[in-house]
Amino acid sequence: MNLLRKRISTVVALMLASFLFASVVMPAAQAQMVGTDALLHAQQLQQERAAVAVALERADVRAALLDYGVEPAQVQARVDSLSADEVHSLAQSIQQLPAAGDDPFGILLFIFVLLLITDILGLTNVFPFVNHRHR
Amino acid sequence: MFNADAARRWLGGVLLSGITACTSLPVPRVDESSLSSHAELTAVGFFPQEDHQCGPAALATVLNASGVTVTPEELAAQVYLPARQCSLQVELLAATRRHARVPYVLEPQLDILLREIAAGHAVLVLQNLGFSWLPVWHYAVVVGFDLPQRELILRSGREPRATVGFGEFERSWGLARHWALLVTPLEHLPVTADETRYLSAIAELETQRQFVAAALAYTTALARWPGNPAARLGLGNSRYGLGQFAQAEEVYRELLAQQPTLGAAWNNLAMTLLELQRWDDALEAAQHAADLGGASEPAARDTLAEIRKRREKM
Repeated sequence: MNLLRKRISTVVALMLASFLFASVVMPAAQAQMVGTDALLHAQQLQQERAAVAVALERADVRAALLDYGVEPAQVQARVDSLSADEVHSLAQSIQQLPAAGDDPFGILLFIFVLLLITDILGLTNVFPFVNHRHR
Repeated sequence: MFNADAARRWLGGVLLSGITACTSLPVPRVDESSLSSHAELTAVGFFPQEDHQCGPAALATVLNASGVTVTPEELAAQVYLPARQCSLQVELLAATRRHARVPYVLEPQLDILLREIAAGHAVLVLQNLGFSWLPVWHYAVVVGFDLPQRELILRSGREPRATVGFGEFERSWGLARHWALLVTPLEHLPVTADETRYLSAIAELETQRQFVAAALAYTTALARWPGNPAARLGLGNSRYGLGQFAQAEEVYRELLAQQPTLGAAWNNLAMTLLELQRWDDALEAAQHAADLGGASEPAARDTLAEIRKRREKM
């Protein structure tokens, strides 16, 4: 056990040393450039938010939400405050949406994921197999 | 019965991946209207696969087709895992970058694959020749198709020209989640390239400090998407990385002419002007970036400080 602890502290010390070394050696100038990937992430997030907004505008999706007693505006408000990762998951699930309103199961799946991610699921009665926190 | 918290935590993940896994197996229905009935890229070379050594031969095939001269033996050291008798997909991506090419993973559809072949691009594919519960992984290169016969033409294993029916291919490819890798010469874009995904693939090359290749790839991308700010920023950043500060300035100014409120561009312009020791211009650009706020404001504040520090030293 002692030996293991010693080894771990050696590894940690080495890692710390290499981090310090890297930060000294790295040219300071490079650190303040804004990377292309940062802009791409922002671009992607914007596109995904737009895609989610478009999906929420769909008549069949709105109708299905209202059927379950969920106000679409309430969902949009929640979507606006989601993190990048959550928006990404939601945008992925949009790809599963059927092209036209002829597949109720596809829409149901999307709405389930939508309510799950926006955290509305726990507040509603939409899916009876989910227990509710606020009762 | 489970509570909503737990449901949120794990069901979301499970469900999402489940949905993706089930529905990403499309029926091999092909939109034939936009394709010619036959295509075969006869100029694509053949590297016979060594015993069980899947990966290096297929990668060598597409890299050579994209203008990189490399043998499977040279690649084996970089991508081959003897214990697995195979290569991992991420290693193929990394090795492609190491050879200054943009690895682009195609959308998982047969149509897309066929359109790339028709455009003259050989496609590396992962196949599972076994079962989902007992996989036998194999990499091959698709070099042609015959729509009336519903066949693909592959460089596969020791066969320079293997023909495989659509259905059989769809099975083995589907069991490998339709993974397909495209490596084009830097002057060519994949015809089916998704704008953001392709630019992200170039940005990865830029992160690996392959600035010459990245600059060329961004230039190619800008020909198709001239209004994409990330592509132009990337070109500027690559020029900056190469130490070509005058050219970098020119690119950032073009970008700012299109997008005057892009803080990232003002900041990187300031950094470039700093390298050119044009202190006042640099300060002005950095101040502009800082005033715009947003995501690049912290970088802009650092840039301002850096310019002041360096000017004092002069």
